[in-house]
Amino acid sequence: MLRFLLPRLASAALAALVSSLVVFVLMRSVPGDIVGQMLGQTIDPTASAALRTFFGLDQAMHTQFVDWLARVLQGDLGRSWYQGQAVTRMISEAFTVTLQIALLTLVLATLIGVPLGVIAGIYEGRRLDAAIQAFNLIGLSAPVFWVGLMLLVGTSAFFNWSPPFAWRSPSEDLADNLAIVLLPVLSLAVLQAAAYSHFVRECMVGELRRDHVRAAFAKGLSPAQVYFKHALRNILIPLVTFMGMILIQILGGTVVIESLFSLPGLGRLILSGIQGRDYPVVQGALLFVVLIAISVNLAVDALYGLIDPRLRR
Amino acid sequence: MTASPSLVQRILEAPASRVLSLLVFTALALLIIAPEFIASQSPLSVDPGRALRPSSAQHWFGTDDVGRDLFARVVHATRITLGLVAGALLVSALAGAALGLISGFVGGVIDQTLARLIDVILTFPPIIAGVVITGILGPGADHLVLALAIVYMPMFFRIARSGAMAEGARTYVEASRALGFSEVSILLRQVTPNVLPLVLMQYVILFPLALQIEAALGFLGLGVAPPTPDWGAILEQGKNFIMVAWWISLWPGLFLLASSFAVMVLGRSLRERIDAG
Repeated sequence: MLRFLLPRLASAALAALVSSLVVFVLMRSVPGDIVGQMLGQTIDPTASAALRTFFGLDQAMHTQFVDWLARVLQGDLGRSWYQGQAVTRMISEAFTVTLQIALLTLVLATLIGVPLGVIAGIYEGRRLDAAIQAFNLIGLSAPVFWVGLMLLVGTSAFFNWSPPFAWRSPSEDLADNLAIVLLPVLSLAVLQAAAYSHFVRECMVGELRRDHVRAAFAKGLSPAQVYFKHALRNILIPLVTFMGMILIQILGGTVVIESLFSLPGLGRLILSGIQGRDYPVVQGALLFVVLIAISVNLAVDALYGLIDPRLRR
Repeated sequence: MTASPSLVQRILEAPASRVLSLLVFTALALLIIAPEFIASQSPLSVDPGRALRPSSAQHWFGTDDVGRDLFARVVHATRITLGLVAGALLVSALAGAALGLISGFVGGVIDQTLARLIDVILTFPPIIAGVVITGILGPGADHLVLALAIVYMPMFFRIARSGAMAEGARTYVEASRALGFSEVSILLRQVTPNVLPLVLMQYVILFPLALQIEAALGFLGLGVAPPTPDWGAILEQGKNFIMVAWWISLWPGLFLLASSFAVMVLGRSLRERIDAG
């Protein structure tokens, strides 16, 4: 277990450290900081110097970084320079929004994409396969936010329906919440279902050409048994890896979709943090993204052992 | 020996997706070479008197919120959007492939360190890395190109690295060493040409993905500076008028879709050809 975890945790720590450092230096090297944004056009050296001291921006960059890092290691991501809220709290609030959308998308995309891919693989080279492949190509080519825009127009023109404006969490009002996340989830799911379907089809086609499948047919098993017990089982491992990739893709995709549908998620938090030069928020949120990406990959690796005992060792 | 089928015959028998892709490529080439010939109106001239008009004989795609002709804007954006993506990926490919070739061929500590560092970029989903880079540096074509180049560099690095490792272990490299060729000459004259097709393939595969990111960054207002026509930027502008003037958003999205589609089909047929040997 330790041999499994240690190298992964070490590279995770490295990724978190290097990316934090790069973002830290980058943000402080470009013109324009929070002081400039707060004071606007007025040039008042005293006020500007006071504010810079207040935010710690007057200190050397390496001192600032070490300070930040020391606090992070104690679990303190600092406070937002705008709202004064704890960054950890802002992240956890935003992440619940993003996570709901991401998980719903993952479920929907899997439910649509995997069966489509299996069917396309079974009917390789026939008309049904061609139709599914056309869907895949279009789904992969259509920009996510454009699909979202067209869904907004479409539902309002054909069903005379628009999603509610203000965000509601599932615990506040489930019906409203689902109405709000419906279109964002749909627009993300189209792309990911197409990605799934394409991937599963390729796996299925490869699998169905293998000898053990031909042997299974030859010994008189029903097609259903061959497809589900012999072929599908072997593509579970690549499928789980792919699912991890898709989840990370979806988390990335929410940045754009949250901005389009004005959802208070992680992507919007990062975007507004960058635009407002709210350094603690950006640093904290990015660190969190790294942690999520790494946890997803760890979970995927751990799932391998469950699916295929031969990989357990 | 059978006579090889004529070009017309081959096109007629090809799968529909490939024919469509060929048509899209032809159309895009025309739009890139001579946009002013296809769209005679200016993509920049403003006329508030004709703002937010739906499509008509005079304005095929309608007009935007300041009365610019959308057809002209979308047509002129073709060269800008696709050019930015192509250029950014080229920078990315050159940097990534050079580093990857050296890393994979030299091996050892240099390789391990380089690979670890470049993996850091891969921790982030491409769009988030893109948002962070363009967001911090500010909008502008140069920053957009830089962001895309950085985001996709690891993908080129990886493919070139594994290619160089595989080639480096082959007999002809060993033979060249025995013959006294220098390491630099083996890497440049023998390994590199054998790895280049992989890099080229990667370029075609990544193009539609990079195009989506370019458009997304434009949509978030982090792309080229207005009023430059760019598909993502036009979509950003259309977002605010989506309920009153949906046509502003429809067309650039369709052009993005068609371009991605065409390149994706090209990528798949290239791969089939390579797999078939």
